[in-house]
Amino acid sequence: MRLRLPRLGLKLWVGGGLTLALLATALLAPWLAPHSPTAQHLFEGLERPGRAHLLGQDRLGRDILSRILHGTRISVYVGVVTVLLAAGIGTLLGALAGYFRGSLDELLMRLVDIFLAFPGILLAIALMGVLGPSLGNVILALVVMGWVGYARLVRGQVLAARQLDYVTAAQALGARPRRVIARHLLPNVLSPVIVEATFGMAGAILAEAGLSFLGLGVQPPTPSWGSMLNEGRHYLLVAPHLTLFPGFAIMLTILGFNFLGDGLHDLLNPRQRR
Amino acid sequence: MRPPLRLGRLARALCLVLLGMGLAACDGARSLPGPSQGVLRIALDSRPTNLDPRFALDANSSRIAQLIFNGLVRYDERSRVAPDLALSWEQPSPTTFIFHLRPGVRFHDGRPLTAEDVVYTYTSLLDPELASPKRGSYRGLQEVTALDSLTVRFTLSAYEAPFLGNLSLGILPRPAPAGDARAREGMRTFPPHADQRQLIGTGPFRFARWVGDDALELRANRDSFEGPPKLAGLLFRVIPEQTVSVLELENGGIDLIQNEVAPDLLPRLRRNPALRVVTGPGTNYSYFGFNFTDPILRRWEVRAAIAHAIDRRSIIRHLLRGLAEPATGLLSPLNWAYDGEVATYPYDPARARALLDAAGFPDPDGAGPAPRFRLHYKTTQNDLRQRIALVLQEELAEIGIELQVRFFEWGTFFADIARGNFQLYTLTWVGVRDPDIYYYTMHSASEPPQGANRGRYRSAPLDLLLERGRAAGTLEERRAIYSEVQRLVAAELPYVSLWYSTNIAVMRTTVQGFRLHPAGDFMSLREVELRAD
Amino acid sequence: MRRYVLRRLALTIPAVLGVMTVVFLTLHLIPGDPVESMLGEMAQAADKAALRRQLGLDAPLHVQYLRYLGRLAQGDLGRSLSTREPVLAAIARTLPATILLTVVSLAVAILLAVPLGILAAARHNTLYDHGSMLLALLGISMPNFWLGPLLIIFFAIELRLLPVSGFGGAAHVVLPALTLGSALAAILTRMTRASVLDVLGSDYLRTARAKGLRELLVLFKHALANALIPLVTVLGLQFGALLSGAIITETIFAWPGIGRLVIQAIQGRDFPLVQGCVLVIALGYVLVNLVVDVLYVWIDPRLRLAAEEESEP
Repeated sequence: MRLRLPRLGLKLWVGGGLTLALLATALLAPWLAPHSPTAQHLFEGLERPGRAHLLGQDRLGRDILSRILHGTRISVYVGVVTVLLAAGIGTLLGALAGYFRGSLDELLMRLVDIFLAFPGILLAIALMGVLGPSLGNVILALVVMGWVGYARLVRGQVLAARQLDYVTAAQALGARPRRVIARHLLPNVLSPVIVEATFGMAGAILAEAGLSFLGLGVQPPTPSWGSMLNEGRHYLLVAPHLTLFPGFAIMLTILGFNFLGDGLHDLLNPRQRR
Repeated sequence: MRPPLRLGRLARALCLVLLGMGLAACDGARSLPGPSQGVLRIALDSRPTNLDPRFALDANSSRIAQLIFNGLVRYDERSRVAPDLALSWEQPSPTTFIFHLRPGVRFHDGRPLTAEDVVYTYTSLLDPELASPKRGSYRGLQEVTALDSLTVRFTLSAYEAPFLGNLSLGILPRPAPAGDARAREGMRTFPPHADQRQLIGTGPFRFARWVGDDALELRANRDSFEGPPKLAGLLFRVIPEQTVSVLELENGGIDLIQNEVAPDLLPRLRRNPALRVVTGPGTNYSYFGFNFTDPILRRWEVRAAIAHAIDRRSIIRHLLRGLAEPATGLLSPLNWAYDGEVATYPYDPARARALLDAAGFPDPDGAGPAPRFRLHYKTTQNDLRQRIALVLQEELAEIGIELQVRFFEWGTFFADIARGNFQLYTLTWVGVRDPDIYYYTMHSASEPPQGANRGRYRSAPLDLLLERGRAAGTLEERRAIYSEVQRLVAAELPYVSLWYSTNIAVMRTTVQGFRLHPAGDFMSLREVELRAD
Repeated sequence: MRRYVLRRLALTIPAVLGVMTVVFLTLHLIPGDPVESMLGEMAQAADKAALRRQLGLDAPLHVQYLRYLGRLAQGDLGRSLSTREPVLAAIARTLPATILLTVVSLAVAILLAVPLGILAAARHNTLYDHGSMLLALLGISMPNFWLGPLLIIFFAIELRLLPVSGFGGAAHVVLPALTLGSALAAILTRMTRASVLDVLGSDYLRTARAKGLRELLVLFKHALANALIPLVTVLGLQFGALLSGAIITETIFAWPGIGRLVIQAIQGRDFPLVQGCVLVIALGYVLVNLVVDVLYVWIDPRLRLAAEEESEP
């Protein structure tokens, strides 16, 4: 008998597979990692990949493979939490603005304009300066910069969905706004948000790397891919393996999330599927 | 069916944009001088902020200002005061100095140097409206008078030994009296850095231009009183990324880099036949600072235990590739007042643990994970500092101290340190010259905002010594006093001394005659030559 | 149309004002004292107090804010605290380099993305399609600070084709623009592909095909034109990301632009300089989006009608 896969499309399979593998790695990192991610061996600094350390050792002699595996947790955590919060806040505000329109909408869109035009890096420096650098504050900075996109997206979707017959019907029947939004509008706009969110995960992981470059990322010695890439960039000329492997990890993850997003898009918008 | 689109309009708009881009690209074209014109190209990792000697604070600004300007005196390689524009001086009373200027010195614009220029430089510096960051160092200066065209008198409210060294400040020409209103305005609103009227000195190189925001060109001053430089000019290029400046050097886009090279890159650079690597002892002093308002760190045993827990030799060998020397105090062996016969704290974790036990901080579970106590350690995001911090964290864990490391953006970090908002930190003192720096960093009257005693360290015997050191007249008297200061500080440990950084210069083999200066100055550029490959 | 433009123009004022307020508050909230960084640790407390008074930093926050807005309204951006030159001069010196970099990056992104996207859509589900998409993903998944040095090592050191860093002739802009434009190129490739696919399936294209136009012409004239509309919108939105990316790219390539200026200013707590730079960056973003929106309406007559309706009272 032949095993029949549901027809979900290759992208969804590849993307889903990579994402699952990523989640599994994050969960199992302590058991998968051959060494401690923080144990230093100063005299073995910048050691090339070999039998004892499959991907080599960084400047402090820490095992790169173990750091990447543990870094998965940090990167996944940053990606998931950032996107959940940013999408949650953005969806809520966008839906309210799109539904009630009028001055609330106007106010929100001006707020969105401000956030879009404000250099995010200054915001990040300010947050870290006031609250101190930490993983939580990295996420906070990313959320503050990231919610705007979802708010715009959802507002547009709600504005369009508002015109749909069944929504006007529900309104005519006297349903309360909360019910209309929750029951009729949100389910309608959720699919683009989900698609956007998968891309957002990739974006958050990359943004964390960018913050690391400015020294505002996850604090050492906690391994994050962004901070590994940043620490390794000084050794690009003498020890390229320091950046190569975390770079690959980021690429694979982004590949996975993007395929997942594309696959979900195809699944949720069957009109465009070919 | 959708209505047709206005493609024509779009195409026209696109063409306009492309045309604009082309124009912008042409406008952006510029050429920088290089070795073929006898110009030496030097990489800097940060932009010199202000070349006016009254404002030059950052290391790069003051190093370049030294090439453009001369002071009345200068520091020699052992940080002793030596004549520069002043040929000689006498001190008729403790609070009066009379300087005799070198005759025949001319500014870059051809005007002769006179006592009036010296008077102008110092009076403008003292004018509160100028808001010079250096004004505080001259608070004892009461009056500057021109006695004749080549003699100038300085009157002090009270004698302070380091005062003489402060007269190394670059001398600017007095603005022409005709344009008085404008000159006064210019003085008040500060020289725009592109305004070369204000950047006229007497030094071996003269300011030529800023190219964009990132390249500074100096031209040789053929009439320098010290003789003409062998180079036609200098080009300083700001390249923030070290990897990139090293690639520029390898590729021949840069001729010289000083000190801004990671030690780990040196083996690679040494193998390159087109490059030469030179190293020499330096004066930059790295240390571990403590906050004395903290009940734990107040205890001498704790500070000594930390000192014994740090394996300086291993850090120097492995992280710094041997490019540092273990330090005994703020003054390096190159300083005239250096005394190395002081208490040292060799790596000895067992002794460190015993000290902590004796101080009443037993380890709750021996070699187990529970610490004796926890300390917060602040440092900057500098790559090397981060790595050193992680090593220190491991080493202190060995003796049962949990170090919580936090890396801060420079502005935030510095504000916290100045406010005393820290337990432990590391920093480096750059440009240590006069031993009076101990007064600024450790006298009880120097707590911020009055000085740099950030740890709020208070020691009555040290205060007394530092005051005597300031008041002392001769070098010999001062040397004896500061020997005692160094011994006292090494014993009491307001700082744990880490190391003096070794100076490194990497240059193309075409560069001849470059000598490293202990403070990392560019003084020897006057004698440098460029040879053809 | 004019009403629409005027209305949009009016809407930029609250946005820019909002940004400036946030900047003002942020700067006064973060640790770090400009007087401290100007005078250094050796200064006397009295001198510091005097300078604080001179700079007006001793006034209550709301007074400082109102004074700041007042100066802003007169077009006075103040002087840099570190170099003491007018903020406007510093911006004028660095802005052209950033404009050049962003515009060329934009061009590089478009020139890479549009053909790739069309190719991917036209040869849907073939090796070309997958290859282009993979390339796009590569572009988006490499952080600039890693991609930049790799490009330098390959093109400037190995091949010796292009200069390593710095600002100069046309050759100098290639690598930074490629670095900065890579992420945008990736996004645009995906967009182009999706919109072309969308249009390829629509009725009017079938009509056009039925009329017997050559396929290639059909693709370029109709599909591309329609695909351009979402593309232009994305461009406007991504312009902000481009400016943020410019800060990192300028640092890597020693590019003397406003991105590096603002980072140095933030580190030195040079309040007037930071405020001036942010104002220019925000204005740039808002204006680009205004132009995009207007262009967008101008290209597409259907939207033009809608816009005119919208701006009726």
